Amino acid sequence: MLTLFFFLLLLGSCSEPEIHDGPGTLTLHFDNVVGDANLKLNTTNTPYINSKSEAYKITTLRYYVSSIKIKNDDGSVYTDELRSDGSAGYYLVNESDADSHDIVLENVPKGNYSEVTFTVGIDANQLNQGAQTGALDPVHGLFWSWNSGYIFMQVEGESPASTEAGHVFQYHVGGYKDVAGSTSQANNVKTLTLGFNGDVAPVEHGHEPEVHIIYDVDKFFNGPGSTVTFTANANRHSPKSCVDIAGNISSAFTVDHVHAN
Amino acid sequence: MLMIVVACSGDHISPGKDLYVLQKPTNFPEPRYTFENNRITKEGIELGRALFYDPILSSDSSIACANCHQQVVAFGDPVHRFSKGVGDRDGIRNAPALQNLAFQSHFFWDGGVTHLDFTPINAITSELEMAENLSSVVKKLQRSKTYPKKFEKAFGGNNVTSQKLFFSLSQFMAMLISADSRYDRYVRNEGEVLTSVELEGMKLFRVKCATCHASDLFTDGSFRNNGLDVTFKPDSGRARITELIGDRGKFKVPSLRNVELTAPYMHDGRFRTLTQVLNHYAQGVIHSETLDPTLNQNESLGIALTEEEKSKIISFVKTLTDKTLTSDKRFSNPFLK
Repeated sequence: MLTLFFFLLLLGSCSEPEIHDGPGTLTLHFDNVVGDANLKLNTTNTPYINSKSEAYKITTLRYYVSSIKIKNDDGSVYTDELRSDGSAGYYLVNESDADSHDIVLENVPKGNYSEVTFTVGIDANQLNQGAQTGALDPVHGLFWSWNSGYIFMQVEGESPASTEAGHVFQYHVGGYKDVAGSTSQANNVKTLTLGFNGDVAPVEHGHEPEVHIIYDVDKFFNGPGSTVTFTANANRHSPKSCVDIAGNISSAFTVDHVHAN
Repeated sequence: MLMIVVACSGDHISPGKDLYVLQKPTNFPEPRYTFENNRITKEGIELGRALFYDPILSSDSSIACANCHQQVVAFGDPVHRFSKGVGDRDGIRNAPALQNLAFQSHFFWDGGVTHLDFTPINAITSELEMAENLSSVVKKLQRSKTYPKKFEKAFGGNNVTSQKLFFSLSQFMAMLISADSRYDRYVRNEGEVLTSVELEGMKLFRVKCATCHASDLFTDGSFRNNGLDVTFKPDSGRARITELIGDRGKFKVPSLRNVELTAPYMHDGRFRTLTQVLNHYAQGVIHSETLDPTLNQNESLGIALTEEEKSKIISFVKTLTDKTLTSDKRFSNPFLK
């Protein structure tokens, strides 16, 4: 009974205020694609072709998004709360978990938003604060316990072109610091700002706009950083070995459209 | 109102009721552990203690932390040069003693982990140690009859998370303070008397050993090559972490507290006795590119020590034995009652 009472209290306390000027919700929807096709994991064949004409399929796609800011037309900026232990503000987008494709920002002040800024990557300096939780919980298997840090862009799949065992490829992009002389450390954290292409996302109580962001795996393999071939070095795990491919991350994200809702 | 705020902002840790203030020994430096993020409570320590002694953390429920970290020898491993993991697998280094961990900034022989909270991850997930994965450990604990209740007492909420697991183990490990040896009672003027041989050993120690085994933690926390080998193929030590050529063959300077109990010695446990260790420093130091400069002065290798001096130094370091730590009932196996 006490539990039920508490639950009701919770519901009550979390519902939005009954005024139209009140804050609302804005959703960032991440849609993972390969060129013109929607991404399908673990296909039986290798339906995708990279710019080196190598066929491939994707088996795992996960990445971290954090430090989200959205800019209002009036110039003000709403900053999503970030807690260094991972309990708020860090999001793990996982292709195989549909719920994770929507990052829901709550209590966003009323306004017309037209630009989003976010970070792909984890600045692991925060790890000096101790054990992490939420999206950063090491149970997700993206935490490097030696030389502590996170894999923040995990792209795995198979290609007949790969010379690795089982024709697999694994791109584990991590790294948050440059260390002079190190053959493995590098800073691959990327912060992106994407405009809404003239659209606005009108947030107010009762309106819950959704910003549709596309992540194109094809562009991750072919961008300003490098044009990837699976024939060489297709298993990359150290930050330094991923510097060129990390240079493709920013251009792989685009805002496709906005649902005003 | 406060309750509402807390209820809306997600899964928060709420520490147990019985807050415990960790008393810093007066002869110690300031602690490094982030207690502000993980308040020590009686409930938290109790949970950490249970987990420390429970093989549930390993893949086949055969190995607990305490297998290789035994209280009677200051939480080191008295039996194995290389500690044994699941399936009797050999590790690659000698299990270090666990003591005064809240005062350290780098962990393991190579310092690859820089926060106490993360130290269990390596033991749990190493194929040579517990060979388990974290999400499986969390699931096992959540399913168990006893643990969800203990987690709730220690941190509130009925869910088990890896953060709570690590917080509780850190609370237990932070409590493993060794500061009640005869030496401590002597330097703190608590009525202890050291013999003349021990005092002479202390003077010698301060001149010949305390550069590295500094402060009342008896380590400066640095990484040094103490001249054990010429090449470092089997284990490059600190260089495994930094990947710097200049760090090859360097290992963390271990504390000498309870050194009488923590044989075998060195990262690979190659010496069985303290006499062998001092013989190494006196006659056995080998030159290599990264040899510590303090062991290569005035064109002579090692530390000049007569037999008598070695014996006095050994007498002194034995005053660092702390029976309080090794017999404290709060740290013993809670499953043996």
